[in-house]
Amino acid sequence: MRFLTTAASLISFCLGTWAIHESDVGVVDWHKHLVGVPLYGSTATAPAFHFIGNRSLIFSGTSSNVIAALDPINGSVVWRYVFDAEDPVTGYYKIEDTITTISGPGGATLRSFDALTGNLLLEKRLHKPELGALSTPISLGKHVTSLPNSKDLYILTNGCTVTSIDGTTGEVKWTWTSPDQGSLIIHSKLILTHDALFAVGIAKSTASYTIHVTSILPSTGEIINSANIPSKVEDPFTEFTVLTRSDVSKPVVLWLEKGTIGHVALTPTLKEKAKPIIMGDVFRKFTDIGLIDYGQVLLLKEDGSNVVLKLDADGRLANSKWEFEASLISAPDVAHTFGGGPDSQGNPYVARVRWSPNLDIAVDAESTSDLAIDSRILVTTSTGAVQLWDRGGLKWSREEALATVTLAEFVEIPERVASASPVTASEGFVARVARQILEARDFPQYAVNFVRRFITGSYASPTSSAAPTTSTSAQGISRDTFGFRQIIVAATGLGLGRVYGIDSSNGDIVWSRTLGLGWAAAVGGHIQPLKLYVTKTVSDGGDPEVVLVAQRRADNGLLDTVLFHLNALTGSDATRRSKDDAPLEGHDVIQGPLVESFLLNAEQKIVIFFDEYLQAYLYPDTSEAKEIFAAVAPTLSFPLRTSVEDRKRVIGHQIAVSKGHHKSLAHPTWSLALPPGEEVQMLLPRVRGPVASIGKVLGNRTTLYKYLNPRLFTVLTAAPARSMCGIYVLDSMKGTVVYHAEVKANLRGCNVKTSFVENWLVYHYFEGEVAGGTAGGAKGYRMVSVEFYEGQKVDEKTKSSEISSFSNDTINYHYYEKSFVFPYDISALATTSTKFGITTKDLIVATKNHRVQSFSRHMLNPRRPNRKTTAEEQEEYLVTYDPLLPNDPKRVISHHYDVAKAVKVVSAPALLESTSLVLAFGLDMFVTRVAPSNTFDVLSENFNKAQLVFTISGLLLAILITRPMVKRKSLREKWYTS
Amino acid sequence: MARIVFLLQALSWITLALAFDIVGKVSWNDVCRNAKALGQAKASLDEGVYSGGITAEGRFTIPDVPEGTYLLSILSHDFTFDQLRVDVTNASLPEVRPYIPGTPFDPPSSVLLPYPIVLSAKEKADYFVPPESFNLAAMFSNPMMLLMVGVAVMMLGMPYLIKNMDPEALEEFKEQQAKMGSIQNAFQSGDIKAGFSSIMAAAEEQSATSSTGPQRGGAKTRGSKRTKR
Repeated sequence: MRFLTTAASLISFCLGTWAIHESDVGVVDWHKHLVGVPLYGSTATAPAFHFIGNRSLIFSGTSSNVIAALDPINGSVVWRYVFDAEDPVTGYYKIEDTITTISGPGGATLRSFDALTGNLLLEKRLHKPELGALSTPISLGKHVTSLPNSKDLYILTNGCTVTSIDGTTGEVKWTWTSPDQGSLIIHSKLILTHDALFAVGIAKSTASYTIHVTSILPSTGEIINSANIPSKVEDPFTEFTVLTRSDVSKPVVLWLEKGTIGHVALTPTLKEKAKPIIMGDVFRKFTDIGLIDYGQVLLLKEDGSNVVLKLDADGRLANSKWEFEASLISAPDVAHTFGGGPDSQGNPYVARVRWSPNLDIAVDAESTSDLAIDSRILVTTSTGAVQLWDRGGLKWSREEALATVTLAEFVEIPERVASASPVTASEGFVARVARQILEARDFPQYAVNFVRRFITGSYASPTSSAAPTTSTSAQGISRDTFGFRQIIVAATGLGLGRVYGIDSSNGDIVWSRTLGLGWAAAVGGHIQPLKLYVTKTVSDGGDPEVVLVAQRRADNGLLDTVLFHLNALTGSDATRRSKDDAPLEGHDVIQGPLVESFLLNAEQKIVIFFDEYLQAYLYPDTSEAKEIFAAVAPTLSFPLRTSVEDRKRVIGHQIAVSKGHHKSLAHPTWSLALPPGEEVQMLLPRVRGPVASIGKVLGNRTTLYKYLNPRLFTVLTAAPARSMCGIYVLDSMKGTVVYHAEVKANLRGCNVKTSFVENWLVYHYFEGEVAGGTAGGAKGYRMVSVEFYEGQKVDEKTKSSEISSFSNDTINYHYYEKSFVFPYDISALATTSTKFGITTKDLIVATKNHRVQSFSRHMLNPRRPNRKTTAEEQEEYLVTYDPLLPNDPKRVISHHYDVAKAVKVVSAPALLESTSLVLAFGLDMFVTRVAPSNTFDVLSENFNKAQLVFTISGLLLAILITRPMVKRKSLREKWYTS
Repeated sequence: MARIVFLLQALSWITLALAFDIVGKVSWNDVCRNAKALGQAKASLDEGVYSGGITAEGRFTIPDVPEGTYLLSILSHDFTFDQLRVDVTNASLPEVRPYIPGTPFDPPSSVLLPYPIVLSAKEKADYFVPPESFNLAAMFSNPMMLLMVGVAVMMLGMPYLIKNMDPEALEEFKEQQAKMGSIQNAFQSGDIKAGFSSIMAAAEEQSATSSTGPQRGGAKTRGSKRTKR
């Protein structure tokens, strides 16, 4: 085994770095370019069709904080702009051929993009983010407007400030802030006519709201007038709207007052009188369907039907002749929603989508059409899919829920079982001969295949695609030669409640399930996945199974812990309780929140849950599982975080197995009190995996034995008062602090990323202090690499992986650490993992400049000497320490893919020891293969069968030529030698 | 109310005095020709709390930067840019200096760069390695391969060469070979002394041959030299 390790490292060093060929793009890897689930809550961010020149595009703001332009023809992403987390998009506005966005607290930043290409044209800070007022919904109090063929933009931010800027240079022309600073009146909309700019808002008055309008001179920002419109609005979001039209000079403010509509036309002097409209009906609310700038709004009647209220070209109000009847009457279980949009000529259209609640639910619809029959409708389902329906047929669909994936695991899949014909013992001679003849009919094909394979040398190679060439849907999914084809089980966040099974070879969605709400379906609620465990692997026999632990928050406030048990190959319920076409129903494990859960990997894989009272629940809850649990429970320990008297603590627990009917209870055994003001950010267990070698042989033939205490875990802490961040490595049984380091927090707080595998700990942070001690006083990101070894010096062995945690030797260790200057900010990191752990573990990081990059373990070796290497050190492939880590673009495994906002990197072993599968997810999803020590276990890619055949045939030829010569010579020798 | 507005205005003046907008430009060059090639990129100070997007014209503005010493870097997916040290002081303009990653941040470089900042892409990342393919010419241009071919040719051609040699030269050659053989044997059997003595003997003989050289026929000398090779 050690030989293999040495060989692996040797090969990796001799052949340089493993890198990807251009021809491998899309073969060994795939990338899903996603934009996130559209935010349909407000028309400022909701998806809408817009015509740019003669091209139609779909624009949307999304829950992943992205502004995206989609192509309505095929659903591809034309462009997207990914915003930072601290800069949330509050809305986008189409102005001429640009898309203008407002983002950040209170609308701090204005950006303007070319609508067709997504090029950033202008970025302007309107106010400091600290001065931003928070609002709910987030789009309230922000608006952008402009006149056609004018460069000037009028921007409302913070609900109280109106700024006029030049749309090309960003130069501020004037700024007006309402006298009350937004404390009394919140402006929600800007209406621009040729004569005046109207800032329309609502003012709080007793028990209701009053509409307030300020008219401003657009050129100078001078106030013309400011007035309250005598009105009483109870809900400002649904009972108040403003209709405009580009060909109407007087915009109209509409509001509902006790079921009747009031309206007033806006003139610069604000002298018009408010009038009610008597329509004989009682109205409940206005629904903005994105057409208020085209003078149309939807009005809900008391009886549930809807009418469209229209502003005529001559400035009069009229309701539509037709109306959408209430769904209650037509079919009680059919829900509906409305959408609207203009066509290329600017004629508005309204569409209604109706659906049955048993199906996926559509909640947003946009329509654009030349004729009513030629309509395109964009639908966002409650499960996060974006679909385009063209004339009643589904044209394309995007699974944007994958942009919200929070948990994902690789699951190995079984080999295809050759369908052997049943052989019965009582088979007669004739029957057997007949069967064998029948079976032999495949022989010619086999022989032909064999010869072809032998000659052409077309074997499966680690750089070939693992996806099947033919559709094998009938036989189900099966693995490829090297196990690159696995199922990625991914659970989505954001309460979308979806689980996906994704083929790791090509990114196809093999299955997807909606998580059922159980009893909460009646009151509504949402499901937040917490943990995902693979409870049955291929080696256990049968189909692999996964358990998803989730938290269900019902809308009535009750919180439960639910467990979903799935077959990873098909997505069907492993307990066979729910049907494949119905939502997947879970088991309510705990009536309350989950404190912690673990997967016990004993003879049987058991999931252990702890509730608030630290009672242990088992899944599966069988007597066999209980016995196994009772047998191993005394050796189990786990840490939890608590706070006692304002001081945060990490408390270790052990489990007392109950003999009777009560549940087993966990009890505290040790506690680590953190300094006052220091908070626990995260508890991270050591990454588990096979350890191939327990030591490292040095150049001078001594051995450093790895400190492999299996109970270690990492704690990340933050002390905001001292602006320090802590990294602890603790023993979960005793609470011994094995390693502790403190680094400076930065302006964003503590953002330390860490990974701990085998005896190797790495952490990444920003060193902001100039000349901050390590890495030669450089400023920038740091990656610290720490390796733990047994004993105090070389050749000391304590068998740390096996000894009892109560042995004194558990604290007999030493470590090496080195700090390196890291080129980027990172959002996630992980180490590669392989089947036997022989291959070097490289570090895979997802960087903030949208790359997934691997960093060599050799370069991160903390034993790199600070001087010229000696011969012995060279034998170990140690390189002289250089604070700067080499940043080799050849190691960017995501190459030109833009892998944005990765939140997690997951690696999984393939069947080939040399190769590891890597998945990065967050906004995008990216899967590739890496071979940190090169593919030493298969023929190298430059191995060439032709060359081999050529050489052998050359040798054969040489033998054939020399053979008669040698024969002649030996014959002559026999004749002439005496 | 007017007083509040005044106070706020005063406050905004104070913030203006404390914070500075850092402006700069990415100048397009042969490495990165336009904003489309650059993609979504931003200029960021330190860990990115202060940052500004790079527009289609290549301009960026990092707004409201308080006093301090910062490391300016351009975050781009495909391109590498130089890092700069930016000192925002209460002087009118920030001081911009080059910075080489991995070197101490202090003391600052004595080179002052102009402000507004102008940066250009240093290189475009090349993510791929060319595939190694089988090439007969390349295979034979490999020195190892050439050596092997040479040895094979010698092996095949040697008997003929020996056969065609004139008997005298052959005699000499055989003698030489026998000597070499004895030296090798001596070393292999561990008899270093004997080995050295045989080398010495060979050398002596050689010098003797060369000294007697002119008295012999020219053609023969040439022949013997050839065989020695």
